[in-house]
Amino acid sequence: MPPPRTREGRDHRDYRRAPTGEEAWEKWDWNCPETRRLLEDSFFRDEDYIRQGSEDCQKFWAFFERLQRFQSAKTSRKEEKDAGCPKHGTSALADLPHTYDPRYRINLSIIGPDARGSRGPGRRLPPERVSEFRQALLHYLDFGQKQAFGRLAKLQRERAALPIAQYGNRILQTLKEHQVVVVAGDTGCGKSTQVPQYLLAAGFSHVACTQPRRIACISLAKRVGFESLSQYGSQVGYQIRFESTRSAATKIVFLTVGLLLRQIQREPSLPQYQVLIVDEVHERHLHNDFLLGILRRLLPRRPDLKVILMSATINISLFSSYFGSAPVVQVPGRLFPITVVYQPQEAEPTTSKSEKLDPRPFLRVLESIDAKYPPEERGDLLVFLSGMAEISAVLEAAQTYASHTQRWVVLPLHSALSVADQDKVFDVAPPGVRKCILSTNIAETSVTIDGIRFVVDSGKVKEMSYDPQAKLQRLQEFWISQASAEQRKGRAGRTGPGVCFRLYAESDYDAFAPYPVPEIRRVALDALVLQMKSMSVGDPRTFPFIEPPPPASLETAILYLRDQGALDSSEALTPIGSLLAQLPVDVVIGKMLILGSMFRLAEPVLTIAAALSVQSPFTRSAQSSPDCATARRPLESDQGDPFTLFNVFNAWVQVKSERSRDSRKWCRRRGIEEHRLYEMANLRRQFKELLEDHGLLAEARAAGPGDSHSRLQQRRERRALYQLKRQHEQGGGRGRKVLRLREEQDGCSSDEDRAGALRAGDSVDIQDVKFKLRHNLEQLQAAASAAQDLSREQMALLKLVLGRGLYPQLAIPDAFNSGRKDSDQIFHTRAKQGAVLHPTCVFAGSPEVLHAREQEVEGCDGNRGDKDRMSSRHQLLAFVSLLETNKPYLVNCVRVPALQAQRPEEEEDEEAAPVSPREVAALSRELLQLMASKVPYSLRRLTGLEAQNLYVGPQTVTAAPSLPGLFGSATLTPHPTKGGYAVTDFLTYNCLTSDADLYSDCLRTFWTCPRCGLHAPLTPVERISHENTCAPDPQDAPPGAEEATPEPLQKASALQRPYHCEACQKDFLFTPTEVLRHRKLHV
Amino acid sequence: MASEAECHPLGMFACELCALTAPYSYVGQKPPNTQSVVLLEESYVMKDPFTSDKDRFLILGSRCSICSRLVCMGPECSLFYSKRFCLPCVQKNISAFPQEIQQDVEKRKVPSKKPSSQLGSRT
Repeated sequence: MPPPRTREGRDHRDYRRAPTGEEAWEKWDWNCPETRRLLEDSFFRDEDYIRQGSEDCQKFWAFFERLQRFQSAKTSRKEEKDAGCPKHGTSALADLPHTYDPRYRINLSIIGPDARGSRGPGRRLPPERVSEFRQALLHYLDFGQKQAFGRLAKLQRERAALPIAQYGNRILQTLKEHQVVVVAGDTGCGKSTQVPQYLLAAGFSHVACTQPRRIACISLAKRVGFESLSQYGSQVGYQIRFESTRSAATKIVFLTVGLLLRQIQREPSLPQYQVLIVDEVHERHLHNDFLLGILRRLLPRRPDLKVILMSATINISLFSSYFGSAPVVQVPGRLFPITVVYQPQEAEPTTSKSEKLDPRPFLRVLESIDAKYPPEERGDLLVFLSGMAEISAVLEAAQTYASHTQRWVVLPLHSALSVADQDKVFDVAPPGVRKCILSTNIAETSVTIDGIRFVVDSGKVKEMSYDPQAKLQRLQEFWISQASAEQRKGRAGRTGPGVCFRLYAESDYDAFAPYPVPEIRRVALDALVLQMKSMSVGDPRTFPFIEPPPPASLETAILYLRDQGALDSSEALTPIGSLLAQLPVDVVIGKMLILGSMFRLAEPVLTIAAALSVQSPFTRSAQSSPDCATARRPLESDQGDPFTLFNVFNAWVQVKSERSRDSRKWCRRRGIEEHRLYEMANLRRQFKELLEDHGLLAEARAAGPGDSHSRLQQRRERRALYQLKRQHEQGGGRGRKVLRLREEQDGCSSDEDRAGALRAGDSVDIQDVKFKLRHNLEQLQAAASAAQDLSREQMALLKLVLGRGLYPQLAIPDAFNSGRKDSDQIFHTRAKQGAVLHPTCVFAGSPEVLHAREQEVEGCDGNRGDKDRMSSRHQLLAFVSLLETNKPYLVNCVRVPALQAQRPEEEEDEEAAPVSPREVAALSRELLQLMASKVPYSLRRLTGLEAQNLYVGPQTVTAAPSLPGLFGSATLTPHPTKGGYAVTDFLTYNCLTSDADLYSDCLRTFWTCPRCGLHAPLTPVERISHENTCAPDPQDAPPGAEEATPEPLQKASALQRPYHCEACQKDFLFTPTEVLRHRKLHV
Repeated sequence: MASEAECHPLGMFACELCALTAPYSYVGQKPPNTQSVVLLEESYVMKDPFTSDKDRFLILGSRCSICSRLVCMGPECSLFYSKRFCLPCVQKNISAFPQEIQQDVEKRKVPSKKPSSQLGSRT
């Protein structure tokens, strides 16, 4: 390389030409806008480094003003100094300028307007001023370089200071020698951000890093992009359900586990990746466990694929041994020392009467912190509680304490909060005040808050558990595991030494389970089994899970999928099943989508399915606000919650298309979390695309506006939106704010308004921008307005589709509900008695719509409540899920006509063959007739004993009905378990035992007839009926008399059953006694 | 966005005095994508990673005009006084520099320890 040349010569000349003759320009004013404009016109043109009007331009003038002040302060002192430096031998030093000037320290130069010819506006300016300006500009550019370089250096210093930095080479070396490496390190060691970069630096270019949470994908991609200096490049990207920044140039992609599984589904050998990092394996999420199983099978087939498992230092040997004792690189965490204080709660008898959590132990911690630590010593408090009810109990008490002491800001944190409220925990408390964050276990792993010095650990967690028998999700409180306790404790030592108060005894801690229960043991496995089937990984029962799920859960899931028609009798995937496996939703919602698109109700069903697949958009705080309730009322549908959600979404889309800026306010007024509606819109679009991909939905033609003018207009609008999005992304989003003391006193609604006003301050609603970029608002709006014009028939069909999709998730109202209070309405599902409506359910406020209203009483006395009441309008509730907290709750209910909901109506959907439109129309018509049919019937819940004795089978085989033509050409075969004859798979004829005497079996005793001498075990009723038939004819019947016996009378006895005698090949209607007597004849 | 097409890294710049490394995409005195700025020394340059603006560059470092060592721009490693000098060379020839530079180098000795002390407080 040639020695660098310098250009100081030219620079000197520039300067010499500029005498500092102040007197000639006494009226010179740097602040004059005209002057500035002239300078800008010549120096900040479009092709220049700084452009006129840019942010940089403003920064420059601010810098310029500071520089002027600085220089005028300095010149006075500087005059005297003019010491030359001694001559020097070294050639490089020989030509150093003799007189010091700061400009010699700047290694760049600007080609100004005069160097490019003296045309242009700069001509009119005095050359010495231009020169002065040029010097300032040089200083500015130099300053910018130093600043950016400083950031770069700082970044590298910080990376080098991370605990994992010393292990980078070891990880790479181990990975060279082994296919799988386990990297174990605690929070803060830097593994998630650094390991991908080490791989990148080592030359790997197809790296995938999975994360359990979508948020983590985005934030890690951002951070790693920044650290690897490609923040504005595309080396580092992320891919989550609705968003992707991935391109051909992407070398590292952060993606969710679920998405990677879908990629494996498409390409089982994962050819697109060289290295796979599976992060947070210790969290033991369902999908993660499954992925590990898949990988273990894949690795022998892909010897070139490298896998890095990253884990906290929890149960590392489990992962290592699962992959044939893979090497472990263990990295120490970066935690400050944490003092643990055990404060077990002494049994306080006063609290026994209520289930509410006693907040006093928590207040005592607040008090002791106030007493022990001066307020100048900063450090916030994080309290781990089991659930929302516990949070509100402590919140109330802590706020009272806080308003008294003025030293705390108390904030709740749980997943049901609005996004804005969740974000508040990242704000800072004013000086002398601490934050007290009351959180669920969301703050254990998902949310990391800086500045926590104190942790209070209640030792409890509410976790979803799953009852495979009842297909019921249960939210129960448990003791946490030791691993969770350590994780919670660790939150106190991230920024300095901390204290962890454990509200349980050390002996309790020792009794905790070492690790939390993995998700695979806690949840319904329907979706997992379906996915396994569609990935053809073989029998789920023998799949090599890292820890196998409970066999009962697997069996229930398989049985359920068979019931739903997703698996056939050999447990192979049916066409419908493979379709359902493509849809990232519950099986029931998947069914809804498929049925909906068949019956040309795709648009409304898409919306409803999306709405049922996201968290409820209704905020909790609004439940208590009457204003919200009133504003929401017009949107409520007495058909059920799915229809309320449907209305909400449609109304919101209308608001969006009319005046999109107001949509945020519109939502807030109704207590709706707008974020969820955006999610619905995204999900809806995804469903639509999936249905289109599978030919269930005709692809919407990209019908743009006809003329080129409006097309141009549209393109321009989109470009403007992209511009806005880019600007927002560069702005870095929401900054931290300082919390106000006693914020909570404002009451929630005004609080939200204020938050809204603050956010409105940044004039761009980025969610709105993204929404408009992603969706065709016109299409959505068309669908929304079409929804308002749904005919009654369409509505009925829609309900049928919903009910059928949700089948068999049905609940029957209790017979005596009409006599109960609104809040005491109870319902029975197949497996759970006495479920209640969720308080958010629309029927919870108006249960009367569920009662069979009209009194079409026919031959039945009306004093029995709904029980046995004959009506053609009985209703059942179809529900999306059953959730047990303190009671079993039905969540997201829709009412459906009882009889029609019970009839599995279609066979067509079993086959994926295209159905002609005419058939669909005919089927729809018939279904509607069915819906309209008025058959009076009664509805009754079977008690346990009734259910046991429901069928005559399996021992008894009843007579085949001698009613030719009733069932058409269907062949009748005896039903193996129910008795009777199976006509179709949903109709078995003559299998029910008569409902008259259920308890008679218990009363059966041996008895000898005094007249005929019959000795048999008989019930009292049978005895009486025998006596009746035996009395008039005391003599023995003559042989062959039975042949003369007339066909039994229809109404002879409630005990009569069809009986087919093998000996004489005849059908009879006999009571049990008669059967015995008849048999005797053949002996 | 296609901002990357123009800045393929040519190699890794590594300062011979400190551990700083960064990919450079240009060596010379006329950074690409800008006409109005020239560099007074032959520099290793990358696109400024902290801005989306394509034509912003960041000078990483250059060779010491005495010992030809490749050094970064950091104040702990080098200084520019009409030419680039690595700090060891400046110290060896301190008398050749004007007083202002001498004072400045003197001052730098104190904060040069700053990074390590910062590390200490962070861990």
